[in-house]
Amino acid sequence: MFETLKTNGMRKSFVKSLLYALPMFILTFFLMTGGKPDFSDPSYSLALITAFVLVNILYFLMHYTGKTDRYRVVLFVIFALTLSFSLIRNMIAIRHSMSFSQADILECRIPFCHLVIPMMIIPAAFSKSIIFPGSIINGFANISSMVVLWAVATIVLGRGFCSWGCFYGGWDDAFSRFRRKPVFRNINLIWRWMPFAVLFMVALTAALSLIPTYCDWICPFKAVTEYEQVTSVESAAKAGVFFSIFAGLVVVLPVMTTKRTQCSYLCPLGAINSLSNRITPFTIKIDKAACNECNRCVEVCPVFAITKEDIKNGRVSVFCSKCGKCVDACPRNAIHFGIRGVPAGTMKNFSRNMFLFISFLFMAVFSAGSVVNTLQSIFKLITG
Amino acid sequence: MAEAFILGLSTGSACLVTCGMVMLPYFVADSAGIRKAGSGLLLFLATRLFAYLLLSTVAWFFGRAFFVTSFMSRIIPGALYMIFAVMLVVYSIDRGRKTSCPAGLSAAIKKKRLVPLMLGLVNSIGFCPALFILVTRSATQGTLAGNYLAFTAFFAGSSIWFLPLPLAGKLKGKEVIRTVGILATGLAGVIFMIKGITNIIGGITNIIGGIINV
Repeated sequence: MFETLKTNGMRKSFVKSLLYALPMFILTFFLMTGGKPDFSDPSYSLALITAFVLVNILYFLMHYTGKTDRYRVVLFVIFALTLSFSLIRNMIAIRHSMSFSQADILECRIPFCHLVIPMMIIPAAFSKSIIFPGSIINGFANISSMVVLWAVATIVLGRGFCSWGCFYGGWDDAFSRFRRKPVFRNINLIWRWMPFAVLFMVALTAALSLIPTYCDWICPFKAVTEYEQVTSVESAAKAGVFFSIFAGLVVVLPVMTTKRTQCSYLCPLGAINSLSNRITPFTIKIDKAACNECNRCVEVCPVFAITKEDIKNGRVSVFCSKCGKCVDACPRNAIHFGIRGVPAGTMKNFSRNMFLFISFLFMAVFSAGSVVNTLQSIFKLITG
Repeated sequence: MAEAFILGLSTGSACLVTCGMVMLPYFVADSAGIRKAGSGLLLFLATRLFAYLLLSTVAWFFGRAFFVTSFMSRIIPGALYMIFAVMLVVYSIDRGRKTSCPAGLSAAIKKKRLVPLMLGLVNSIGFCPALFILVTRSATQGTLAGNYLAFTAFFAGSSIWFLPLPLAGKLKGKEVIRTVGILATGLAGVIFMIKGITNIIGGITNIIGGIINV
């Protein structure tokens, strides 16, 4: 048994880890610099180098230590924080405020985010119109580039998008790690289906009203990005709703449950990504021969994706966001990254290396710009 | 009449939003077949027609003034939304619910067949802009018979949107769909609650604003 565990270990030697990380060094360098490195601006150069080193050290450590989630979450949280920072900075630079006015809506100046996608599908299919007041191809956070990036990411990663590509997930992921042990336990698993109910409601209401209702009324991340200017009772009610949801589902409940409650109980895009989990090539597998049913994975899973029944059945549910927390926690390497069609317990290293390379590359692509921009702003602030 | 029909057709989607999102989970969650769901839909539509005809009569007798005060246009629908919303939320979180029917919620509605009636009533009196236009028009011009015809045409146009709803019951065999349906019902309750609160606050603000201006 000891031999089995030893050979199944994900840890690599320093040199081997370096070799595995080398393609990521090259790719991230090209992605961050656009192939034309320009070091004329000192603050930008420093920010670029810092971001490059940070991203690649984290990737190297994933291989070197064999741990996934431990280093994923660092970049994931930095990603969420820096994106909010750069969005707010951008809003303030353009509008001198985090709030947007009716004029901004009419002139399609609202930055697009991937959470709108579930509401766009039906109107786009039937009326060939996009129900979001943003720019389709031009400017900051335009619709077409975001949709394409999301579509590719969700086909390749499935709900892994929620742990590797989503620029909001880092918020409740961060708060879910504040406590080691949860205050609330034994949460009814029926609530896992809530994102599907939200998806149903927002898709229906958006299709019929041609208004992105989730963004208009619910989205908690408006609290850390931008929101409608409060000019009426209705806009005040909207502000009350999204601030309450942010406080409840992104801050308080993750702290109390140690779970990502916004992702698990609200996000309609998470529901779509759960569906795409059925077709994605990468999955989490349970090697029943190695598993001793200690249920450590059930305890640590931040999105309620593994139950005791799932372990008995030898597969995780569609809710899995492939964060790797269960993989890190398993004392027997019985739960691992796998490839669809390949039996559990085999090709563990190969599957993990493939998944890590692709998913980390997505995260690096998504996060690089905001990390560099934020670091540059901080350096400028420090140097005056 | 054609104008009223087109108005109804154009606003039917909004009616479906306000009631369809409750009706659909209701039909999905209900253990009844298509026939029973169809009769529920008929009751819902009949209630709407009745409410519209009643509205047209009221509009004829009381005129435009009846609908422009904040109390009538916002506080009463707001209060109704609130009552309805609480019932829906309680239904969705009540583990002891006897059947899949939201009617089991409240002592006030003991028969589940009355749920479509209540939905029809709430749907009709939740003033959408198109209906408000029609009511205003009816209050200020035309004959009573003409008003009835216009409201019937409006009803026909908006009802088209509801016709596919009973087919949702076909999905009843799936536990997941039922769960999602019940959760969606609770969510609809939350939405109506917020809408109700917003309406009431808006109404009160308008009334206070009016008093201050006077």
